[in-house]
Amino acid sequence: MYPLRLFLKYFQLTLKVTLQYKFDRVLIAAAVMIREMAGVIILILMLNRFVMIKGWQIDEILFLYSFLFLSYSLFVFFFTGIRDFEDLVYSGEFDRFLVRPVGILFQVIASKVDYTAALGHGVLGIILLQKTASQLGIEWTASGILFYILMLLGGALIQASIFMIASTFCFWTVRTTNLRNMLFFNSRKIAAYPLSFYPGLIQKFLIYVIPFGFVNYFPAQYFLKKPEMNEFWSGFMFLNPVVAAVLFALVCLVWNYGLKHYSSTGNALY
Amino acid sequence: MLIQVEQLVKDYQLNKNQKGFFHAIKNLLMPEYQKKRAVNGISFSISEGEMVGFIGPNGAGKSTTVKILSGVLKPTSGKVIVNGMDPFRNRKKYVSQIGVVFGQRTQLWWDLPAEDTFDLLKTIYKIPDATFKKNMDMFSEMLDLHEFLHQPVRQLSLGQRMRADIAAAMIHEPAILFFDEPTIGLDIVAKERIREFIRSMNQEKGITMLFTTHDMQDIEKTCERMIVIDRGDIVCDSKVDEIRQFSDSERKLTVKFGRQYDRIELPGAQMIKEAGNTKTFQFRTNEVKIPELIAELMSRYEVLDLTVQETDIESIIKQIYEGGAPAYESVS
Repeated sequence: MYPLRLFLKYFQLTLKVTLQYKFDRVLIAAAVMIREMAGVIILILMLNRFVMIKGWQIDEILFLYSFLFLSYSLFVFFFTGIRDFEDLVYSGEFDRFLVRPVGILFQVIASKVDYTAALGHGVLGIILLQKTASQLGIEWTASGILFYILMLLGGALIQASIFMIASTFCFWTVRTTNLRNMLFFNSRKIAAYPLSFYPGLIQKFLIYVIPFGFVNYFPAQYFLKKPEMNEFWSGFMFLNPVVAAVLFALVCLVWNYGLKHYSSTGNALY
Repeated sequence: MLIQVEQLVKDYQLNKNQKGFFHAIKNLLMPEYQKKRAVNGISFSISEGEMVGFIGPNGAGKSTTVKILSGVLKPTSGKVIVNGMDPFRNRKKYVSQIGVVFGQRTQLWWDLPAEDTFDLLKTIYKIPDATFKKNMDMFSEMLDLHEFLHQPVRQLSLGQRMRADIAAAMIHEPAILFFDEPTIGLDIVAKERIREFIRSMNQEKGITMLFTTHDMQDIEKTCERMIVIDRGDIVCDSKVDEIRQFSDSERKLTVKFGRQYDRIELPGAQMIKEAGNTKTFQFRTNEVKIPELIAELMSRYEVLDLTVQETDIESIIKQIYEGGAPAYESVS
């Protein structure tokens, strides 16, 4: 298995790079976790003033949050290269990928892993999941666990697609980091609360434009079984892998189209 | 012919940035693009085992040409065939047969020892253990890699890094090698070392090589053929020996005159520089004999001092850049 062997080789090297600066990286991971935790704590402090909002109790909302953290953790584990694609192009390092007899996307994905973010988000996600799932009395059947993992993978892929669309603009050397961060992280903030809290326009935005609804809200319904799910098509609950696959495939097409327009950078940068 | 380039053109689209706040806003709303031609319809071919130097000033289009030849960039128009393949279209298959060194950028992992990168390359190019070991031993011996192979790349000197980079580009035994300024920023000893290695690889293994440089010495010491490129055009493509012959016959004569002359005429020599009473002339030994020229000079004018200098290749190249040496355009 050549691709797998190569992937493991890259994995070994990226891990080695991270371990070169153990102390620093541990601190960063902790910082990431604290930063994200602050958001969670504010959420808890705020929600503590109410027992329930629109039929949602605090643990259910935090359960929703756990999807976001864990899928983001998976996303940065596999797709850091896509998240940081702009640096790759601007530094000219991307040229190097083009002279190697391996798929471009493969190299972009394999050559960079942000272990610190993966760890920070991952640990927080697991803590939240463990706390809330036991509070809510969710029973972990084999199919339930499988479903949860599948939804995380799909969620990671959906987020990767969003970043990849933004990275496509790099081929025309257009900087879109700010627009991307605005769209992505604000959508993510919105998705931290149940979709039903929002007016129809925002709901549609999170379903059809930036489909964060499929990252956490709909999959969570499988476990929470909220009556409000009747307002949506019941199939949405299982649509996450389909959305992820279709979106990613489409984005890959656009990305490949962009690749043909790549015009490298000059030598003056370094 | 291993490498064949015909009428190659590459245009870049540049965002036309104008100064000032108002223009910045305008530019954001209605970006204006400007075409910049980096390579302007060049043609050349390189046969197997040849070693060709690409020389030209900054921004002449050397790097762009190398990037097109190595499949990184898509040509705007024209034909490029290397080893029977189109580098851009058959990228994946094509690049396994070439090696590329970008002198300005390293392919080594910055935070890791160079040996880790070699390990990765072994997996990427599916190099068998025995071949890998054989090549590593050879590079270690010729480039002294073993001295620093275990050190993180960020701690290496530029010369060491470049040696490791060159070895990394050759570990998979490519048939063709492209170097984009492999000696940039190196000291004389490091340069000499790399030149020697490149030369012996070309002679012993018959690897076809093309490299770009600003340094004429690089070309004189390694290449048989050189292509001079300036502002996207090939201004000269010839054997290094022929240029040397040309430079062999050319001399510079600097004369300090005893008094002010308004006009100085010396048959066979042209005045190229004038600074007060010191004037510099240029002539060819196959047109005028030196003793005759000097005798002529002495008989006509009052001379205090004179020196005769050989022209080096470098100044010929300079002339070519500046649009001089018109008789010299197509030697080959």
